[in-house]
Formats: sequence, C-alpha cells, structure tokens
Amino acid sequence: MMHEHHPLVGREIAIRKAMPLIVRVAADTARFSLRIDPAEIEKASKAFGLNLPAKIGETAISGEKRAICLGPDEWYLTAPLAEQEAVEQAFADLYATAVHSLVDIGHREVGIEIEGSDAVLALQSALAFDIEAMPVGSGCRTIFDKAQIVLLREAENRFRIEVWRSFADHVWGLLQAAGREIELDI
Amino acid sequence: MLLIRCPYCEAERPELEFTYAGEAHIARPADPSQLTDEEWKDFLFIRSNPRGTHFERWRHQHGCGRFFNAVRDTVSDKFVMTYKAGLPRPTETELKEARS
Amino acid sequence: MTSYRIPGKGRIDRSKPVRFAFNGDNYHGYQGDTLASALLANGVHLVGRSFKYHRPRGILSAGSEEPNALVGTSRGPGRFEPNTRATVLEVFDGLSTTSQNHWPSLKRDIGAINDALYMLFSAGFYYKTFMWPKSFWNKVYEPFIRGAAGLGKSPTEPDPDTYASRFAHCDVLVVGAGPAGLAAALEAGRIGARVILCDEQAEPGGSLLSETDAGIDGLSGWEWLNTAMAELATLPNATVLTRTTAIGYYHQNFIGLCQRLTDHLASPPQGAPRERMWKVRAKQVVLAQGSIEKPLVFDGNDRPGVMLAGAARSYLNRFGVKVGNRPAVVTSHDSAWLAAFDLAEAGVKVAAIVDIRPEVAGHLKQRAAALGIEVLAGWTVTGTSGRLRVASARVNPVSRGGVVGPARTIACDALLMSGGWTPSVHLFSHTKGKLDWNEDGQMFLPGDHAEASRCVGAGNGSFGLAAALAEGAAAGVGAAVDAGFKAKAGIYKVGNEVPLTGVSNRELPTDRNASRAKAFVDFQNDVTAKDIRLAVREGFKSIEHIKRYTTTGMATDQGKTSNINGLAIASDAVKRPAPAVGLTTFRPPYTPTTFGAFAGYNRGELFEVTRKTPIDGWAEENGAVYEPVSLWRRAWYFPQPGEDMHAAVARECKAVRETLGMFDASTLGKIEIVGPDAAEFLNRMYTNPWLKLGVGRCRYGVLLGEDGFIRDDGVIGRLTPDRFHVTTTTGGAARVLAMMEDYLQTEWPDLKVRLTSTTEQWAVIALQGPNARKLLEPLVEGIDLSEEAFPHMSVAEGRICGVPTRLFRMSFTGERGYEVNVPARYGRAVWEKLHGAGQQLGITPYGTETMHVLRAEKGYIIVGQDTDGTLTPDDAALGWAIGKAKPDFVGKRSLSRPDMLKEDRKQLVGLLTSDPDTVLEEGAQIVLDPNQTLPMKMVGHVTSSYWSPALGRSIALAVVEGGRAREGETVHIPMPGRTLAASITGTVFYDPDNKRLSA
Repeated sequence: MMHEHHPLVGREIAIRKAMPLIVRVAADTARFSLRIDPAEIEKASKAFGLNLPAKIGETAISGEKRAICLGPDEWYLTAPLAEQEAVEQAFADLYATAVHSLVDIGHREVGIEIEGSDAVLALQSALAFDIEAMPVGSGCRTIFDKAQIVLLREAENRFRIEVWRSFADHVWGLLQAAGREIELDI
Repeated sequence: MLLIRCPYCEAERPELEFTYAGEAHIARPADPSQLTDEEWKDFLFIRSNPRGTHFERWRHQHGCGRFFNAVRDTVSDKFVMTYKAGLPRPTETELKEARS
Repeated sequence: MTSYRIPGKGRIDRSKPVRFAFNGDNYHGYQGDTLASALLANGVHLVGRSFKYHRPRGILSAGSEEPNALVGTSRGPGRFEPNTRATVLEVFDGLSTTSQNHWPSLKRDIGAINDALYMLFSAGFYYKTFMWPKSFWNKVYEPFIRGAAGLGKSPTEPDPDTYASRFAHCDVLVVGAGPAGLAAALEAGRIGARVILCDEQAEPGGSLLSETDAGIDGLSGWEWLNTAMAELATLPNATVLTRTTAIGYYHQNFIGLCQRLTDHLASPPQGAPRERMWKVRAKQVVLAQGSIEKPLVFDGNDRPGVMLAGAARSYLNRFGVKVGNRPAVVTSHDSAWLAAFDLAEAGVKVAAIVDIRPEVAGHLKQRAAALGIEVLAGWTVTGTSGRLRVASARVNPVSRGGVVGPARTIACDALLMSGGWTPSVHLFSHTKGKLDWNEDGQMFLPGDHAEASRCVGAGNGSFGLAAALAEGAAAGVGAAVDAGFKAKAGIYKVGNEVPLTGVSNRELPTDRNASRAKAFVDFQNDVTAKDIRLAVREGFKSIEHIKRYTTTGMATDQGKTSNINGLAIASDAVKRPAPAVGLTTFRPPYTPTTFGAFAGYNRGELFEVTRKTPIDGWAEENGAVYEPVSLWRRAWYFPQPGEDMHAAVARECKAVRETLGMFDASTLGKIEIVGPDAAEFLNRMYTNPWLKLGVGRCRYGVLLGEDGFIRDDGVIGRLTPDRFHVTTTTGGAARVLAMMEDYLQTEWPDLKVRLTSTTEQWAVIALQGPNARKLLEPLVEGIDLSEEAFPHMSVAEGRICGVPTRLFRMSFTGERGYEVNVPARYGRAVWEKLHGAGQQLGITPYGTETMHVLRAEKGYIIVGQDTDGTLTPDDAALGWAIGKAKPDFVGKRSLSRPDMLKEDRKQLVGLLTSDPDTVLEEGAQIVLDPNQTLPMKMVGHVTSSYWSPALGRSIALAVVEGGRAREGETVHIPMPGRTLAASITGTVFYDPDNKRLSA
C-alpha cells in the first residue's frame, strides 16, 4: 500500500498546566458530503445506518458513524475507514429511488482535536461566534481566521475541527499561538 | 462587524461567515434572447442604489452555504430583516414591524 | 536631586524601586509609577517641545488625554515607539525614553525660532504660505513641509513583537472601572450575567485612586475598591481587564478592546504577545468613561509646570508626588480647591487659590482659610513667566462690570488650573448616538442611544461619587435585566462627599493685547484662541471647517482636552450657540493604537494562509523555487546545480517535448457535479454543448459571466451519466463554485444537481510528453490505455500504484498528456513512484513557468493573464467553444450586444518580435505608428511573453484592436530608450495540426 502523507502528522500542542490544553491530529476516518432533498432524509438515514439530524447545527452519532447537518440539504458524514465502500454502495443503491450526491471527501479534510478546560479560550483566538454558547453535541461550518472549517463540540471541553488540508497549517499556527498565551497565562 | 440572521440556520451569525451578492429581486429573464439590447443592459448593469431601504442578496458562505435575501438600511448599515431566497419582497407592513 | 516624593502617600510600591532613563539621564522611580509621575517625583517638568512653535512643554494631565508629554520609548532593537504618552507609560527597570521635537537638545532648541515668528504661523499658515510661485513647490515647499512634518520619529526597523487577538461575548460590557463602572459590573456580575469590565489604566478604581476624601459604605474609597475587586475576582462570570482601552464602538455592540500585555514588564516572558485586541460582542454596554478636566485658556497656559489641578491631585494621592513646592491654583471650578487642600494637608505651601468666579461656596473659603491659603475670588490670570518652568503667575482682579484691574504677580513653581470637566462621550459618539447640549454645564451629554447601551457617572454628566455609584448600579442591573436576568440594584452609602460646581469660560479676561496672547486651546497642535477667532473672521463658520483650518483637535489626542474650549471660543466668535456650531465627530480609535494590535496573529507566517499541495514537500526537498498563485505556493521551476531560471525552464521544456515531464497540478479547482440534471446544468453554465458528451469523455469548457466576458475555463469529464468531474483555474475555484451555487439555488432551483468541492480531495500529477503512456501502462490497473480505448480527452476510473485514481487523458502542453488524480494523502507517494519509474525515460519534474511556456507555444490561454474580464470567447480566439445551437447559456445574450460585435474589439493574437532574441515585457503597450505625436494611441498590450526553447526564439500573446484582421502587419512596442517591432501572427506557434497530442 502507498504511504499516506498528512499535513500535520505527528504534531501536538500540549499545554500541561493545571488547566490543560491538548491539540492533536485526529485519526483518519471516511468522510462524505451528502447533498439530498430533506424530504428524502428517512431513506438517506437508512442507507447510512444512522438517523440524520434534520436541523442545521445538529449532529447524530451511532457507533463510530456521525452525521452533522451543515445546510438545509447538506450533511457531513463520517464513518470508520473500513466502512467506506459499504457506505458508498448503500448510497449507490439509493440513487435509483432518491437522487442525491454522495461525494468522498475523506482526503480533502484534516481532523484536529482540541481538548482541555482552556479549549474555548484557544478557539476564541479566531472564532467570531459565541463558542461558549455552542451546545455540546452540535456542529457547524464557520470560519477560523481565514480558514473555513467544520467545528464540532463533542463535549464541554472537547472540540474537533475539520479543515481542508491546505488550510490545516494555518489553523494549527493560530492554535499554537493561542496555546502559548495559555501556557504563559497571559 | 455586523451580526446577520441566516433565515436557513435561524440564527444570528457573525458577518465574517457571509458574503454580499448584489441587489435582490432581479431575476434572470427566462429567455434572454427575447430581450432588446436596452432591456438586457438594464438587467445587467442598472441597479437602484437607494439611500435607505435596500433589498439585497447575501450568502451564508462559511455556514449553510445558502443565498438569501435581506433588507438593509444603507444609511445606518443595519439589517432590518432577512428572508429566504425565492420569497417575495416584504410588504411595507412587514418592514415596519421588523423595524420596531 | 531633590525628591518630590511625599512619604506615606500614594499607591506606588516603595519596595520595588526601578531605574529608568530620560534623555540619557538616569532616574529612580517605583513600580506603579508612570513615566510622568516618576519624572515629577524627580522634579522634572520639562519633557518636550511643542509641534509647531517648539515651545517648552511639561506634563498637563495624568491620563490618556495628555497632549504634551509625548516621548519616544525604546525596548531594544526594533522596539522603538514614538509619541508614547508619559502619563500612561508605566516605568520599569531599564526603561529608556527620549523627548521629541527638538534639536540639538530639549533645553536649547533651534526650532524654537518658530515661537518668535509666531505671527507667521497663524491659522491656515500652510494654505496661505505655500501657494506661489508654483515652481517653488517641488524644490522649496515640499522639502520644508516634509522636514517639519511628523510628530516624533518613525521606527525604522521591523517590529519583532507578536500580537494576539480574541473574540469574546458577554451579557454586559462595562467600559471604565471607576466607581460608576465598578458598581455596574458588581451588580450585573452578582446577578450572574457574563460581565467584562475593562479599564485603560494599570489598576482599576478611576477617580477613587486620586480623590481620597469620600468614603463608601463606611469604608475609605481605597478600602471599598479592594473589597469590590475581591468580590469581582470571586465571580466566575466576571472578567476584569486592566491596561485595556476600549478603542472603538461599532455596530450591534461590537467593541474593540486593546489590551497591553507586556509593555509594563522589564523582561516580558519569551514568546509573549505584546498586545491583544479583544473583539467583544456584548448584549448590553455600560459606558463609564468618566470625564476629562478642561484647561483654562490664558496667555502662557502651556508653560511647563502649568497643569490640570485634577492631575496634580492624582500625582499627590495616587503616586505620592507633589508637583511643586509652591503651587498656585487658578480655577473656575470647585474641584481645584480640593487639589489645593490635599496638597496643603500633605504639607505643601499653596501660594494662592485664584478663582475666576466672584462668588465661591463658603465652606471652601473656610477650609482654605483654615489651611492658610490665600484666596483671590473674582480674579483672572493674564500671564505666566519662567523660561523652562513656570516661576510666577500674573493675576488681576476683574470688576463686576468686567474691567480688569492692575496686575499682581504670584511666585509659584507649579500652576494648577481647572476650567471644569468634560464628560467623555467618545465611545457613545462612535455609535452615532445623539449628543445633547447641556447649557448649564456647557457640555455635550449622551442623548438618544443608537445601540443597547447606557452612559453612567461623570461620562453622563453625573458628577460626584454618590451619583456615579447610584447610576452605575442602576445601569448594571438594567443592563443585566435587558440581557435576560432578573434583579434589583443595591444601595451605596457615600460619606464625606462635597458637592462641586463650577463655571465655564472662553479665554480668560486680560488687560493685555489679546492679539499677542499665546493662550493655547490645543496644546498638541499649537492652536491658540486667536487662531480660532482668526479662522472665524476669515469666514469659517462650521466647527468642522474651523477644525481643519486651524487643526484644532486634529492631533493624536483628538482634542480630548481642547475640543470644548475650542467650541466655546468659536461659538462666541461666530455669535451662535455652541450646539449650532456643532461638535466634531469622534472616531475610533479612542487613543493611538499600534498597527500590530490591529494585525493580531496575521503577520509573518500567519499573515495569510499559505496553501501547499500534497506534493509540496517533495518539491521543497528537491530544490523547487516557488511562486505564489492565489493562496497557493506552487513550484515555479526546479533548478539543478549551476542553473539559472532560464536554463532550468529550457531544460524542463525540452524534456516534455522530447520525452516526459511531470507537473504538480493539484491546485486546479475541482467540483463534483452530481444529479440527473448535471449535463443540463453544465449546458446552461458553460458556452459549450454538454448533453451529448459521452461517459468517459472530456471537453474543454469556457465559463462566461452574464456580461459575456470569460470568467473561467477548464476540462470537464463525464464519469457516469449523472456525475461530472469539473476542473477550474487555480484562482477561480472558489469563485466558480459560488457562481454555480448561485444559479442553482436562485435561478434554477428546479434542477436536480448538487455541487461539491473536491479540489483538495485529489492530488493531481500531470504526465506530459511522448513517453507518458509508456510510463503509465505498467502502473495502471483497470484502464485500457490503448489509443482506441483511451484517446485524447478521455477519463476513466481505476487504480494506479495500488490506489484509486481518476485518470484523465488531456494536455496543456500540446504533447500526449495524462492527469493522474489520486486521493490527496497518496499524492506524494504516487508522485515519488512515478518519478522513480520514469528515470529510465528521463522524466523531468517541471514547474509553473515551464507549464506557461509550453501552453503559450500552443496558444492555450490562461484566464486572468491573457484575459482581463473584458474578453469574449471570440476575442480570445475561442469562438469554436461556443455551442452555436444552444438556445441559452450564461452570457450568451451579451455576445450579441452591438459592442460585442464591433470589428475593432481587442482580439488575442500572436506576436513575433523582429529580433528573435528579444523577449517582450508582459503588459507592454502596443501602437501602430511609432512616429505619432504623444500621447500615442495604444491599441493593445502584451499578455504573455516567453523564450520558446522549441522555436528557438521569443514568442508572445497580445490583445490588439481588430488584431485578427491585422495578421502579418507590423506593430510597435515603445519601451524606455527604444521601440520594438513585432509582427502579428496566429496564436498557435507550435504543432498547429495537433499531431503531437497522440504522438
């Protein structure tokens, strides 16, 4: 098998104080952009094996599969790499009865996990919306400084950024700068 | 930086997530070949540029991705209201309500 | 040197002495001092020269409103900053400062000649003086103005510091941590509202720090302050930011706060940012900005040692510094009396209190008498003396009828003045909130608010501690309630408070010739009262015009101490009430702010996103030289040892034409278009016909704007009947996707098509050259690469080197070509594998420059280089790409507008210079007749120009009016020193029959 090159592989920002901040590269996953008429959401849920959330900003998790509703007809799906082909096949089978677009974007994105009691502070360096008010379990597309990202709040103090791979360095650089401020408590 | 209510996300989001997309309620003619040069010129280039209430299009580019319509006051810069693409221009009554 | 420090007084930390330098002399101060307080403690009043007249100047104030005491500070290499206000600059060990605007020295300054020539420098001096003769402008006037202009010295080195920024959201933002702001923050915080309290000073407290007489809830002001801060510290929902200036107040309660993080530290932690810009969105804002004391306007009011009475009180109570051994007070407001009392009680001999008002409250007079201070009520000040420091004040009685009596001289080493207080309404004004004129107080007060905000305390004209606390508390609760909380305000009992009143003045009455008086209104820009009156006499009636003509209020302090005095004088001169003359507009930032704070993280590597392809690392390791293309950095060429760009590009071109080149094309935009109406959608968007494109086939597409001009182009492949792989230009990727989404969402929502950006899903390796197929064949599985099965302009899915691929057969070089798309993370490994396997074929990596040369030899355009948004497909020699039978596509209607059909439109042509070795400059203008008179008629310009290794000569593309009909004609390109000739040709220089595409 060919070697895979990740833009951020092996890197970590770890501020180990009383209030830790850990930023790390997330493990690989299969990712798809699903565009489908919301009227067909039940069929799509069946194909993916997970009830797709109907409201923009909501997420749904079942096992290792996750769906985020990014737009009125758009879902960001993630699944274990091993299930990549099964997901593609299920949606290919769905196409005859419910036209849609399922596009593999697994290599387009890089996942970054931001965890710790200062995670919010680190993200406030470049996120313009009220992240403190972001419900746990929600996700949205937004902009982090000059990089478009998908942001997930997985837990009170754990976030995940999905970003196009060529923007990942920029996001990382900002998190590094914010991490330095947290380390210096300044 | 303004806050803009996206009618699809049903939430106020920072202006940084949005892009402006020109004046609203200018539909592309169904059959442009039927238009005179003068009419086509008007469609292409002539805009109202009012002082005050302006109907405009925005896109929640770094959000849900939807184009939508907005009423904005060009004097105060402030948004009066936003509504989904394809909906008719709000009436005077609706605008008055949104302003109050 | 004598110390002016008073034992036991002040909030400075006497256990932490610091050494600092001013103009090369070393001084001592304490932690907690500002440069101003530390200099005053050392008896130094002379700190600078004024901007225009170079008059000696001292310290006027104790806050950010300071117009005079501006210094240069240096914190090491690259860390020089001019115009820092000594009154806000905190001293630290090793601080080095210098005064400004003088030569050769602060005490002896040649420029002070301007002061003697002051008659020449009246209002509008520049406008009047530098008018004629015209020939003087370049050689005499401009150098003079440039030499004299500029406050302080600009830094000359790049700023080595880093800066930070942070977005924050809160229920209640309180600006100003004086008593009103503290009360507001406490109340809102107790209720549970998310509160941010900011103050520009190093410590919170505001007037409590300086005015120590009154107490709150049975505690002294300082004790209460400690209690309040301790309580705020226990509230997890409250954030207190000191050294943080609210610089601007924008729409929807968006406020910029500039926080100074390390400027006060002798040795900042390694890597710490210097400043942080907070971008706060608040549901409610409470403005508790306080007020600024007004100077009195009289002859000599700018002499070092003349300062605001409130400032002297701050230096005494907050910093433990007496500003003189024998200060005199001149005032029209009660508050200055309290300064005199505090000084007297600290053991300072106060020479006299001169009050402009004939009637003064009895309790003040009694207290003055008890302290042995002479009181002159109903007197005026008509002058001061002393070369570099005030030595005496000239005072005169004024009769009830306004007659100024004989002068008397009062010896003093400091003159403390107060003309009353001006509420700070700056931030409120940023919001376009309406200001109401208060005739009694001669001040503008906040009227109707334009934002969800409240003004409290002195900043709202509610002077006095009790009023500030009550108003602040009510506002804190009100703001929290409006932000969705429930509560009632607490009550604060204030003891010992003396009610204060005062009157406002224009220039003080004088017995001398007013036209010779140097009674300053704007200290920083050296504007006197008579300058303002002159402007009015010369016809300026609006304060906006008077401001620009006299420059009053236009300095870096934005007229914080001068605007209202200037307005009072202008209003008197115009003979119209002040509100009719108007107030100039306050604009952000409230105080001077560094560029670094605005830039935040966006400098150096984070200045802009630098996008890199999956193959970028290989290119870097293999010596690529890069060029920026939109946000990407792309390999430009791969020089081998000893090669310059020309040699490298020539070698790369040759390899592609003769054997095989490989090129990283990953930056090309890619859009996956899926749905039963995908072909119909493309048919409407692009000029070309798409409905009959077979599965597995590709077509070059041209995208226009509705105006008929070329916007983008690219090759589009059909993967299945309902799935297309669209490529766009590198720079156009986001724009094209947005344009397509626009049409889909708003014009044709009935079409069943969806779009997804796949630009970064795929790494793209272009293999170009006669040996491309030979390299690929053994590495590809599942795709028949034979000429019959996979001809030019084909696409197929299969595997390469064991990973999935979308393989395109296409060419942007004119040679047999393939574009290998693989999922991005495999990009580098596949590239390396192909590079290794291609060695026996002489495979040569090439960069964007070679790509440009090769495509230009074939006449393939680059959108954005050969087109500029004014070219139709026909102009660009792409008329063949228009589906003639199509009823409509985006931009079609525009192509038949009369202007688009003109024969003299600029058309893309080839150019061959008469000297084959001359490579034209891109952008060079083209004329038909090189001998015509100037200005020449330009008929076009060169769009692309290269040395062509294949042709062994230069080639160029150009747009020329009616160019195609001129084929064979000679045109001329005037360049500096010579005019070049070239003949017009077709656009294809190499292999016009396209034989090599399948060779």
